[in-house]
Order: sequence, then C-alpha cells, then structure tokens
Amino acid sequence: MRADVLIIGAGISGLSIAYTLTKRGVKDIVVVDAEYVGSGSTSRCATGIRASFTSEEHVVLMKHSVELWRELSKPEELGRYGLAFDQGGYVWTASKDESVELFRRLVTLQNSLGVPTRIVDPDKLKGLVPTMKVDEAKAALYDPTAGKSYVFDTLNAYLMACRRKGVKIMEFTSVRKLVASGGRVKAAVTERGEIEADTFIVAAGGGSKELMESIGIEVPLKNLPRHVMITEAFKPVFSPLVIDWDAGGAPFIVQTKEGNFIIGREIAEEPEKSLKSVRIDFIPTAIAPIAKWFPWLKYVRVMRYWMGYYVTSPDHHPIYGPVEEYENVYLACGYSGHGYMLAPVTGKLIAEWVLDGRPSIPQAERLTLRRIREGKLIEELAIVG
Amino acid sequence: MGGEVRKHPTIICRCNDVTIEDVERAIEEGYQDIESLRKRLRIGMGPCQGRTCIPLLVRILARKLGKKPNEIPLPTVRPPIVPIPLKLFLKSKEPGVEGE
Repeated sequence: MRADVLIIGAGISGLSIAYTLTKRGVKDIVVVDAEYVGSGSTSRCATGIRASFTSEEHVVLMKHSVELWRELSKPEELGRYGLAFDQGGYVWTASKDESVELFRRLVTLQNSLGVPTRIVDPDKLKGLVPTMKVDEAKAALYDPTAGKSYVFDTLNAYLMACRRKGVKIMEFTSVRKLVASGGRVKAAVTERGEIEADTFIVAAGGGSKELMESIGIEVPLKNLPRHVMITEAFKPVFSPLVIDWDAGGAPFIVQTKEGNFIIGREIAEEPEKSLKSVRIDFIPTAIAPIAKWFPWLKYVRVMRYWMGYYVTSPDHHPIYGPVEEYENVYLACGYSGHGYMLAPVTGKLIAEWVLDGRPSIPQAERLTLRRIREGKLIEELAIVG
Repeated sequence: MGGEVRKHPTIICRCNDVTIEDVERAIEEGYQDIESLRKRLRIGMGPCQGRTCIPLLVRILARKLGKKPNEIPLPTVRPPIVPIPLKLFLKSKEPGVEGE
C-alpha cells in the first residue's frame, strides 16, 4: 500500500492535519491508528480551549487556534454542527492578595499579545458563574475568548469531513516501526503490512517516542497520568470553565454540552503509570476545593472517573515540524495537556511545513525538536501554578 | 441524532434516549466498535452505566458485523460502578463544606 501522506495517529491532531491538507489540495492521505479514532488523549481530555497562557509561543499559537475554532464552527466548514465551539470563557479565582497581584501582571502580558483577559471583582464573578459562592474570592481573572467544545462532536465533525474528502482512515492498525534509508523515511510497518508514503507525519501522542526511536531519533516525551471525573447531567447552570488558582493542583469544573459536570485536579502521579490504575482518593481531593465554591455539589452524584495522559515535553510546549536527519518526516506531539485546544492550529502549521517548507506563524519555528537538542527550552514569561 | 424519527421509536438506551435506528445509522457511518459507538451516541454513558443498553448494543453490533456476541470487546469499566453522591466524599474539615 502507498499514500502521498501517511499520518500516524487518528486523534484530534492527526484528523486536523489531514483535514487541513485536503483543504490545501492534497489528495492521497491515509491516517492510521492503533485503536479507534480519538482513542488516546483526545477522548480523555477535559475539552477546555484558551489563549490565556504565559509564554509568547503559547499565547500566539493558542490565539490563532481560538480564531480557527471559531472559523471551523461555521456550518460551511465542517458541516451543520461544525466544531461546536462554545465560547463561554475561563475564570480563575484568587483567594489571596498576592494572586490578584500576579493576575494583574498576567493581564498586562496577555493584553500586550492581543488576548483580552481582565480582572473581575467577586460581584461580577457571581454574575459570570451563577450559583457560585464567592465569599472567599478576592478577584478573578476572566478570559472571555476562551471556551470549550464537546469532544465527540468535534471528532465526528473532523472524521466525517475527512471521509467526504477521500481521506482513508485505518483504525485498529498499529504501526510497529518506521523504515528509513538515505535520509528519507520509506515506509511504516504495520500489523497489516507496510505502507509507503512520500511524507510521514507522526501525531501518535506518547507512541510518537517509540516510533521515532525506530529510526534513531530521540523525542523526549513523558506520559503523565491525569485524572478527571464526570457527574450526572443537569440543565445548563454556568458556561465558563472555573479554576481555583489558590487551592494547588489547579482544581477545575466545567459543564459539558450534555449537562454533565467534569471536575479535575492534579494529584501526585508517577509518569507512565497504567491508565487502569484506579486512584479513588482522587475524587475527595478534587471535590473538596470545588465544593467550597459550589456547595450544591454535595447533592450531585459522580458517575465515572477516568485517567488520561498529558504527553509532556521537557518545556511543556509542543514538538512540531521537521527533524534534521530525515527530509520527509514531521512531528506533531508533546502538547503537554494542550493538544485538543491546539488541534486547529496544529493542522494549519503542519500543512504549511509540508507544503510551503515553513510555518506562517514565526513563533512555531521555535517549537521544533532542535530547541530541545540545543537545550534552548521555551521559557514562561510568568510562573504559573 | 437527527434524521427521520419514527412515531414509536425503539429506545435501547433509556438514560440518553438512543434508539435502535440511531445505532444502526452510526454503524453504517463507520462506528463499528462499542467504545466508538458509546462516544458517538452517548449510549451507556448515563447513570445506569450501560446496564441495559450495552448487552443490547453488543447483540445489534454482532448481528450487523456477522460476528458472535462474545467476539465483540466490551467497553472499559470505570469506577464507581454506580453513581455516588459527592457528599460521601466530603468528610473533610475544610470550611464551607458540610461533610456528612
């Protein structure tokens, strides 16, 4: 079997890359995945989308991505329901004075890069997040351009659009290794035979590391387990994603389109730990700070709890684009927990690298594997949680 | 899920109102394993956690794919098995939270 472009990984990134390439006229695209579409980190993510970050690279890329989320939510792009981007905003609450001071610095930084975040007082916060008990809040940082999207609708919209445009999606087809000679990757060896291609794109989440090792390239990625839970469904209560800045481990709550509340918090975890290793202590740890803001949560039932990996790079920024040793392989991995929100801009950037030789957003050029090899890691402009 | 609606649809997932037509349409769209069908249709994702609908779904899928029901892999079981009120996890002494 052969293709013009072979994309390894049918998560949101792989599908977005495939879709963008078809829009730019590439015809013969194959996407392979070891399991079903979206089976890795995509289906497990908490679906938040925002540009309010603290490095120039992240802010600029995410800002482009938020614009693309809006664009791709129009019916003429990805069908009637599009990406269903719900721009309900993000709210970070502060209960300490020094956090409010930090928020002020972040707002200045983000505003200077074109992201219209602002500080809101507890009264305004109550208006933004109905039913929230704001007594302990000193202030909150509000990002009105942020939001969420329903992950399975988004995956379906991309998948159907790719299929309509003739992209071949091969599920349950694990790629065992890549084969290279003379500075080019020649083929991907799968459990169902070899696939030859002119261009290879590795968007395989944590699996990208092993695949690249098979052609002698070290991509330093760690799988960090993260936990989330979901409650029963209720009528729409509030739109923003709410994060407690001062509780540690960034506890958050967001209501999905279906009405369920997704609640998460970072707890101490070992990298590479199995996604089936249950940590029931996660539930009380995550719920305690959130129930302070929303006392009614005590009457709500938790339905399920699951884990997913933050496929993390050394500087918590994505690893994009070409590698020096091979002229026809491109990386799209290492998003460190932000792959879902980045997906539209990931598609744009990788398509530009493949077709134009370089991305149109200059900050993206700093995000290749070279920075890690040279030890020039991306620095955050403000230290955040 | 849109499309034509029968006057008396056969609902197989009562938590999320998924009908047999929804399932058949999704299988035709290419969703041919239980995990993908769950995510596409939210079948089995409600409070009963798939107690009624997943066995039905297995049989429909097996019939459509010409397989035996025991050849269809089942979805991951996630804790807790039944929905639990969050107050049972709130025994902390943090102010503003009344544990019971």
